[in-house]
Amino acid sequence: MLTLTSPVETAFHRVPAGRKLLALAAATLVIIPLTDLRWIAAASLMVVLLYLSQGREFARSGLRMLWPLWPVLLVLGVWHLATGEVRGGIGIALRMLAAIALANLVTMTTRLDDLIAVVERVARPLARIGLQPRTLAVAIALVIRFTPVLLLNAGQLMEAWRARSARRVGWPVVVPLALTALDDAERLAEALRARGGL
Amino acid sequence: MTDGGLILKDVGFSLQGKPILSGISLDLVERRIGIAGRNGSGKTTLLRLMAGLVAPTSGMVRLDGVDPAADRKAALARVGILFQNPDHQIIFPTVAEELAFGLRQMGRAESDVRATVTRLLADEGRAHWAAAPVHTLSQGQRQYLCLLAVLAMGPATILLDEPFAALDLPTQIRLRRRLEELSQRLIVVSHDPRVLAEMERVVWIEGGRIRRDGTAPDVLEEFSAEMARLGEADADADLAG
Amino acid sequence: MERNVTLIALFAALIAVLGLVPKIDLISGVPITAQSLGVMLCGTVLGARRGALAVLLFVLLVALGLPLLAGGRGGLGVFAGPSVGYIVGFPVAAFVTGWITENWKADIGLAAFGGAILGGIVVLYALGIPGMALILGKSLPEAMVLAAPFLAGDIIKAGLAGLITSGIAKVRPGIVLSRG
Repeated sequence: MLTLTSPVETAFHRVPAGRKLLALAAATLVIIPLTDLRWIAAASLMVVLLYLSQGREFARSGLRMLWPLWPVLLVLGVWHLATGEVRGGIGIALRMLAAIALANLVTMTTRLDDLIAVVERVARPLARIGLQPRTLAVAIALVIRFTPVLLLNAGQLMEAWRARSARRVGWPVVVPLALTALDDAERLAEALRARGGL
Repeated sequence: MTDGGLILKDVGFSLQGKPILSGISLDLVERRIGIAGRNGSGKTTLLRLMAGLVAPTSGMVRLDGVDPAADRKAALARVGILFQNPDHQIIFPTVAEELAFGLRQMGRAESDVRATVTRLLADEGRAHWAAAPVHTLSQGQRQYLCLLAVLAMGPATILLDEPFAALDLPTQIRLRRRLEELSQRLIVVSHDPRVLAEMERVVWIEGGRIRRDGTAPDVLEEFSAEMARLGEADADADLAG
Repeated sequence: MERNVTLIALFAALIAVLGLVPKIDLISGVPITAQSLGVMLCGTVLGARRGALAVLLFVLLVALGLPLLAGGRGGLGVFAGPSVGYIVGFPVAAFVTGWITENWKADIGLAAFGGAILGGIVVLYALGIPGMALILGKSLPEAMVLAAPFLAGDIIKAGLAGLITSGIAKVRPGIVLSRG
């Protein structure tokens, strides 16, 4: 399964994951409470510069990741135009976009394996209450492995629906899909036990 | 039942830039047609194009004068499709609901739907199946149910994708017997030449193109020889990526 | 033990799939994304503990950068956006949903519906709305106004969760363990 890591290599790719996550947490804690438009604009400018420092192509893909937010921006725009608080609205929108873009920056420049390693390190204390790091790693791998399989199954069920109906696929397909997930889980558990268990 | 032919003119189909089928031109009027090919040859995609489940990237498909991908309502009355695995195509929990689904979606009145389902089951000697939960049926019975669901909608053409692949031998024989009795046009996709031996016409799809098109004995002899050659030649270690 | 892990993983995958497939008709003619339905089903089918873990695993994978949220979204950015409260609230919602489904001694479909309403709506909104308020700089009542249009769809999803769970239970009666 493809992750959201950018294939375009940047300087940030080389920074250790843990460090980036801490920096992000700190930066987010600073940005979220900002209300002064000047500070918000400054923070936004810094985020933009961070992206541009790695090239226009990278900055463009960063912009693309923000695109799904357009409905939120639309609602904000309508709300603040209607209440007359245009400056406030711009501040809120910029602040939100800056925080999200910063977080996206970490996602785009950090490989999945490195993030999983951080998770395993952080989860080590949980071994005391019974969660072995290996179990977590297996669980993550299983989800990545089986999402495409289940997706294919969902596609087949939806096709079977469309083969007999001109209308959009309806909710009843979720029942056989969930049953397949249950059956796959049983079979998988058997396979794991046959290979020594967890 | 009208018997309009199935025409494909220079049909091509690509997925994300990758060509799956190209240059497919066929005029199918025979009553028993086989489509042979290896796994991955594009034969299942061809079937889905014929059913109108996907639209061709180029060229045109016409069934009884209708474009099955564009005019779904007309297509559903003319063509039905049976997929390989019954567990991936049965949606509802009871036999009666599964059979009624397509009829209801066509807009038929509820009383009409119920009557049709009852009559269909009775004709097949399976009136006692009506209230049965699907999960209590054997796999062969489930595949049979899928066939009945297709027949219920009264199409003149039925497409079948590897219909015997998941069935045990007695069930295969039973299904084959039932299919032989059908008066509809059957188009059967299979990688197994024995399944297609009785067809009037066989089209061999290889690498997304028509390799041979002719009578069953001719095409299947060449097909079997080629499959044997491929099996002996290499170990299939190359990756597609 | 293995069975719990695989159930949790497969249902995490199910939530992803319900977000990745084209919108389905939850009621006739109205296409809605089915992803939060998946969260409810984790609770109703797997129960409180396993359901919550399945959803937690899903949220973790989204944080790790997998595009599993409806529309192919994912990554840390979603935790800085207006739906952060909902996403973080998903596992809690699944837990409450599962707890009620396991412990309410009514017909399973009804218990699942009740669980889905209380967990998937009441608790989820209680966490989601403050999150929206924070990110969008709005007061709580204002955020509630913004959340209101989604309520009808979510109530329908809760109803469907009941129907779907009931359908599953008829085929696999033993699945929600602590129920008779």
